[in-house]
Amino acid sequence: MTELPPGAQAERTALAWRRTALGVAAGALVTGRLAAPAAGALAYVLVAAGAVVAVLLSWTATRRYRAARRALASSPGQDGPGVGLPTALLAGLAALTGLLAGLYVMTTG
Amino acid sequence: MGDDHGVAATGERADSRFPRRVYDVGDEPDARASLANERTFLAWIRTGLALAASGVALEALDLDVRPGLRLTAALLLVALSAVAPVLAWFRWAAVERALRLRRPLPASPLGPLVALGAAVAAVLVLVGLLTA
Repeated sequence: MTELPPGAQAERTALAWRRTALGVAAGALVTGRLAAPAAGALAYVLVAAGAVVAVLLSWTATRRYRAARRALASSPGQDGPGVGLPTALLAGLAALTGLLAGLYVMTTG
Repeated sequence: MGDDHGVAATGERADSRFPRRVYDVGDEPDARASLANERTFLAWIRTGLALAASGVALEALDLDVRPGLRLTAALLLVALSAVAPVLAWFRWAAVERALRLRRPLPASPLGPLVALGAAVAAVLVLVGLLTA
């Protein structure tokens, strides 16, 4: 049997969460910048909210790393709250970003 | 056994994870398959963000592309960016469910949809560039 080192799997997954967090942070900055002329102070709220979400995603990365290590260490039962909710929230946020982008395109185009 | 998190590793129900539709069926899959499914979902989220950025950039950067075609391409890209994350999440859930049931992975409209939409947007921009 060729067993892959379990750490690599957990690490890859954590890194995927981290770069998604970076993408969300960058997206929030751009959104805030483009919304600034129309939204005024609300733009700062957008950027701040994006920063909070990015921190939460980084935290999820660490949490998923630990959960993955445990699962791969072959304690067969599941533990932790699972990944369904964070992924659903993230999908909702990304869809919302898409809608805001649509709003921008329609108002400038 | 020796689980420092106090969660009984019995494999019996009492699984409170969301969504129930996924975790109420089947058995725990190979963790590596679950993690790969999770990473694929995250890759789609980043793809969605990139699509939104592309659509916005088309309109924000004042490019020398025929305005009608440019706007159509931008709208197409941002529409994809709003739909892709939602489809990606349902795809994640469907794959996780299939993994738990030891079934073949389901098909998804996500890949073809995004590929087709991005290709059409690219052609629109190209034509818009040439006829500007």
